[in-house]
Amino acid sequence: MSAGATVIRLADAGGATVLLETSRALPLVTISVGLKTGALLDPPGKEGTTRLLSRLMRRTGGGLDANVIDTRIDSLGASLGADVAHSTLAFQATVIARSLDAFVDLLVDVLARPGLAQAELERLQRETLAELTDSLDDDRSLARRFFRRRFFGAHPYGRSVSGTSKSVPEITHGDVESVFKRNFVRENLVFAFSGDIDAEGASKIAERISLALPSGVAPSDDTPEPTAVPGRRLVIVDKPERTQTQILIGCLGSHTRDEDHVALLVANTIFGGTFTARMTQEVRSKRGWSYGAYSNVPFDRRRQTFTMWTFPKADDAGACLRLELDMLHAFREQGVTKHELAWAKRYLVRSHAFAIDTAAKRVGLELDQALYDLPSDYYSRYTARVQAVTLEEANAAVQRRLSDRDLLVTVVGTESTIGGAVRDAIDGLASAEVVPFDRVD
Amino acid sequence: MSSSGSKLRAKRLAEVNASATADGQVTHLETVAFGPSLAVERFRFGNGLELLFCEDHSAPVIAYHTWFRVGSRHEREGKTGLAHLFEHLMFNEVEGRKAGEFDRKLEEAGAESNASTWLDFTQYNISIPKDQLPLVVKLESERMSRLVLREPQVKSEKEVVANERRYRVDDDVEGAVSELLWATAFDKHAYRWPTIGWMKDIEGFTTEDCLEFYRTYYAPNNAVLVVVGDVAELALLKRLSAAYGALPPSTLPLEDVQPEPPQNAERRLEVSKPTSTEKLVVGYHSPAMGDFDHPALSLLAEVLFGGRASRLHQKLVRELELATEVRAFVGPFRDPGLFEIFASAREGKNAEQLLAVMDAEFEKIQAEPITAEEIARASARLELSLLAGLETVDGKASTLGFYETVLGRPGAAFERLETTRRVTASDLVRVARRYLLPRFRSVILVRPDAAASNAEAAQ
Repeated sequence: MSAGATVIRLADAGGATVLLETSRALPLVTISVGLKTGALLDPPGKEGTTRLLSRLMRRTGGGLDANVIDTRIDSLGASLGADVAHSTLAFQATVIARSLDAFVDLLVDVLARPGLAQAELERLQRETLAELTDSLDDDRSLARRFFRRRFFGAHPYGRSVSGTSKSVPEITHGDVESVFKRNFVRENLVFAFSGDIDAEGASKIAERISLALPSGVAPSDDTPEPTAVPGRRLVIVDKPERTQTQILIGCLGSHTRDEDHVALLVANTIFGGTFTARMTQEVRSKRGWSYGAYSNVPFDRRRQTFTMWTFPKADDAGACLRLELDMLHAFREQGVTKHELAWAKRYLVRSHAFAIDTAAKRVGLELDQALYDLPSDYYSRYTARVQAVTLEEANAAVQRRLSDRDLLVTVVGTESTIGGAVRDAIDGLASAEVVPFDRVD
Repeated sequence: MSSSGSKLRAKRLAEVNASATADGQVTHLETVAFGPSLAVERFRFGNGLELLFCEDHSAPVIAYHTWFRVGSRHEREGKTGLAHLFEHLMFNEVEGRKAGEFDRKLEEAGAESNASTWLDFTQYNISIPKDQLPLVVKLESERMSRLVLREPQVKSEKEVVANERRYRVDDDVEGAVSELLWATAFDKHAYRWPTIGWMKDIEGFTTEDCLEFYRTYYAPNNAVLVVVGDVAELALLKRLSAAYGALPPSTLPLEDVQPEPPQNAERRLEVSKPTSTEKLVVGYHSPAMGDFDHPALSLLAEVLFGGRASRLHQKLVRELELATEVRAFVGPFRDPGLFEIFASAREGKNAEQLLAVMDAEFEKIQAEPITAEEIARASARLELSLLAGLETVDGKASTLGFYETVLGRPGAAFERLETTRRVTASDLVRVARRYLLPRFRSVILVRPDAAASNAEAAQ
C-alpha cells in the first residue's frame, strides 16, 4: 500500500474492508463508505437513478425529514455527500471529532435505514431537472456531456450519471428501492477512515453500519469493453453568442491492467499533462490561443478515453483545432524524446509527494484501489513503475493506444461563427453533426 | 517561548546575521498562535521583507508562498487588469534563464505551483518536496528583482489573459453579472473594476506599463514570504538571508485611495444573457474585513444562505421551489466591499419573485431574534470550513498569507472563530438593520435573451 494504512477485515460483518490512517494533526475525522457499483446499474432508460438514490438517502435517513437531517449535520460541524460515478458510489463525510458519536448515529440511519419517502423523491426529481437546466449555462460541462454521449454511444459509459430531462421523470419509487436493495449489502462495502480516530473506533463504526445492512451478493460489473468508432467525427454543439470555443478531442485511452498503462501516463505527461507540456507550450505560451491546454488519461474499470482540451476564442478555433490534430499526429509518429522522458519521470516521481501528503489522501488512494479493482500494488509501486518506463515503451504505448484516425472532436460554440473553420481543420472528416446546446439528451 | 528557547533563537539569528548583508540581516518580531497546536514565527529582513514561518513536520513537503501587497485596487482607470496580467508575466523570463525555464524547473522538482490576484493582493504559491527548497528560494528571489519583459511575451500573455477573460466572464453568465454588480455598486473606489480588467485595457497594455508596475510594486518591502512545512528554522533563515539579502527595498508610492461615498438609493439594472433561466444578483455595501461588524455579518450570511438548512435555501429551493440554488458571501477585503447574493430561478419563475422572498426574510431578521440554535449551527459550519482548509501545508500557508495581507494578523482566522462564537442574536439584528437595507443595495435582474429562448422553444 502507498502509505502503510491499517487494513482491517470485519469477519462478522460480511468481510467488509476497513482502511484506516490515524492522524491527530487536526480534530477532524473523515469517513468514506464506498460501493463497487455505481450508475452503470441504473435501469435502462432511467439514467440518474443511483445518483437520485444517494441524494434521497442523504435526505431521508432513519425516516427523518430532510430539514431535520440537514440541520443536525450542520449543528454537529459535519459534512456529508455522495460521489456517484459510473462504476462506484462513495458517501464522504467529515466531522469535527467531538461530534463523532452523534454523527455516526445519523450516518447509520442514512446508509442503512433511509426512509426513501415518495414526496421527497418527487421533490428531488424536480430539483434535479432544474439543475440540469442550469447546467446548460456551463460550456465546459456541455462539452464533456456531449463528448461522452457521442463517444461511447450505446455503451454504458455513454450514459449520464446525473440523468437527463427525459430519464429523471421516469424514475419511480420502485426503481430507487430496487437499486438500494441490490447495492447496499455488507459484501459490497469498503470503509475508509482517516484523522482523529483509532482502529477500535473505526472498526466499531464500520461494524455498526455493516451489521445494519443485510448480507447479500455484491452485484458484479458485466460492462463490456468499449470499442472505437472508425473515422474522424465532429459534433458542433451550437450555442448562441459564444466568444470562445470549447474543444474536446478524444480517442480510446488506457486500462489500468494494460502492460503499457504507466508508460502511456508518462507519455501523456509530456504531451499535455502539465503546465510546461507540449500542448501548453504550443497553444498557450507560443500563440496565446487558450488559457488552458491539457490532455488527460483517466481510468475506470474498463478502458476510458484519451482527451485533449482547449478553449480558444472563436476566431482561433479552426487554427487551434488543426494545430492540436497535427500535434497528436506528430505525437504518434515521432513519439517523445529521451530528454522529455527523463524530465517527466522526475516530475511524476517527485510530485507524488502531494498525492500522499495527508492521511485523508493516502487512505483515499487505497479506497480507489479497492473500489476500482486496481492491481494491488498500483499505488505502492507507482513511482517505481514510472521510473522503469523506457523510451521505447513510452513511444510504443502512444502508438498502440492512441489514434489520430478514429477520434471524436466536440466543440461548443456558435455554429454560424466557427462551423466552417472547424470542419476545414479536420482532414478526412468522416461525419459532422450540429446539435443545439439544449438537446443534451 | 521559554528563556532557553529565546537564547537558542538569538544564537541562530546571530549565526545567520554574521555573514549577511545589511538587507539580509534578520530580526525576530513575534510568535503568533495559529490554532491550538501550531505557532507562527514572524521575522523581518533588513530590506523590509517579512517572513511568516510555521514549522510542520506532518509530511516531507513545504509550502512556499510569496504575497505581494498589490492588487487590482492599486490600478487606475484605463489600466485595469495590470496586476493580474503581471501575475502571468512573472512566470516568464528571468535574467540568465530563458522564458519557460522557471516552470520547467519547478515541475522537474515535483512542485505544485500557481498564483492568484484579487482586489488587495497578488500571491504566488509553490509546494515542493522538502529537498527541493534551495531551488525554490533561488527561483523566487530571482524573479522578485530580475524579471525580463520582452514585447513578444507581453503580447502573447495579453492574448492568454484575454482568453481567460472570455472563459471566466464574457462566456460565463455569473462571471459577467458579478462584474456588472461591482461596477454598478461602486462609483469611486477601485473595487469598481474587475481584477481581470476590462477587455479594452487588457488589449492596450504596453511592455512599458508592465515594467513600471514591476519596478513600483515588486520589492522585498512590499512582500511577505509564508513558509510552512518540514524545514528547520536556522536552515531556512540562512538560505533566505543569502538569497534575498541582495535585493534593495524600493520606495512604495502613496496609495491613491478613493473612499466610496455612501449609497442612498437602490440601483437596479435589467440585462439579457444567453441563459436558460432568470438569475438574481444583489450586492449590499458591507464593512471591511477588519471592521467590528464583519464577523457578525459573515455569520448572518451563513444563517441565511449557508448550506441546505439555511433560511433562504429552505425557503427558495425547498419550500417554494422558486430557485435551483442560492448563495451569498461577505467580501473579505481591506476596504468595505459587498454582501453579494446569487440566485438562479427555476424555469417559469422570475427574479422578482426571488427578491420578494429575500426581502421578506430580511425584514424578519431585522425584527425577530435569530435562534441560538441557528447561531450555533452557523458557527459550527464556519469552524468545519476553517479546519478542513488546514489539512495541507498549502492550506495553512494560504490561510496565514491571506489574513496577514488583508488584516495584518496571520493568526486572525482563529481569532475570528472565537469572535464568531461570541456573536449574539442582538449583534445579528444590529448588522441586519445596519447593512441589509434596500437603499444600500444594487440589484441585477438577468433575463434569458431571445437567442437562448428560441433555442428552448426549438426543443
